[in-house]
Amino acid sequence: DHIEDKSLMDRKYSRDFLLKFSEQCKDLPEGFEITSDIAEALVLSIGNVPREML
Amino acid sequence: SSTKAVEAVMHPLEHSWTFWFDSPSAKSRQAAWGSSMRPIYTFSDVEVFWSLYNNIHHPSKLTPRADLYCFKNHIEPKWEDPICANGGNWTATFQKGKSDNAWMYSLLAMIGEQFDHGDEICGAVVNVRARQEKISLWTKNAANEAAQLSIGKQWKEFLDYNEQIGFIFHEDAKKHDKNAKNKYTA
Repeated sequence: DHIEDKSLMDRKYSRDFLLKFSEQCKDLPEGFEITSDIAEALVLSIGNVPREML
Repeated sequence: SSTKAVEAVMHPLEHSWTFWFDSPSAKSRQAAWGSSMRPIYTFSDVEVFWSLYNNIHHPSKLTPRADLYCFKNHIEPKWEDPICANGGNWTATFQKGKSDNAWMYSLLAMIGEQFDHGDEICGAVVNVRARQEKISLWTKNAANEAAQLSIGKQWKEFLDYNEQIGFIFHEDAKKHDKNAKNKYTA
């Protein structure tokens, strides 16, 4: 159970640590489906819209 | 080559989370509440969180009447959800266009497991309205006063929020709608 405790600790991330990753993750996840009912929530720029939707 | 190795490592989160969206144009007054709510995407590591967050409008850019949720995977952001049924929520209110940072800090505190009673947390929602924005943090066992107070206090610290916040039981909200009284304050 000592190991389990350790893994729990490892999955705690401070705000500053999390913020470091923001700049390197700009594109929507691969395979992300932009359906009409969520499109309004998204910042759609040419770079992250799949080709077939343009 | 060491840089490459670092880039390849994903940072797994303790829980998987799902972003949900309820669009103002899909909401109709006739339809049952929640019927136009749609899951956007489920993520379980830091990198995918950002690739979603960076492409989803911040509250100040969403149309009034939009609701954006981020809940633990398998918990539906509805009072009827079996995990939420006995829960409640803390709510913080913001002037129009002023909730963006608080929304981000709430998400980071949740997914980074910064709450001492993180197991109590179901998720968060931002309600964008014509005159204000509201962020609510949903929790599981409303009757557990000590846990709720701890969450409320910590949340205010993370947000650097100085106004009083109130905690409403879902059960009371169901019965009394907008007249439901705060059970706890922080």
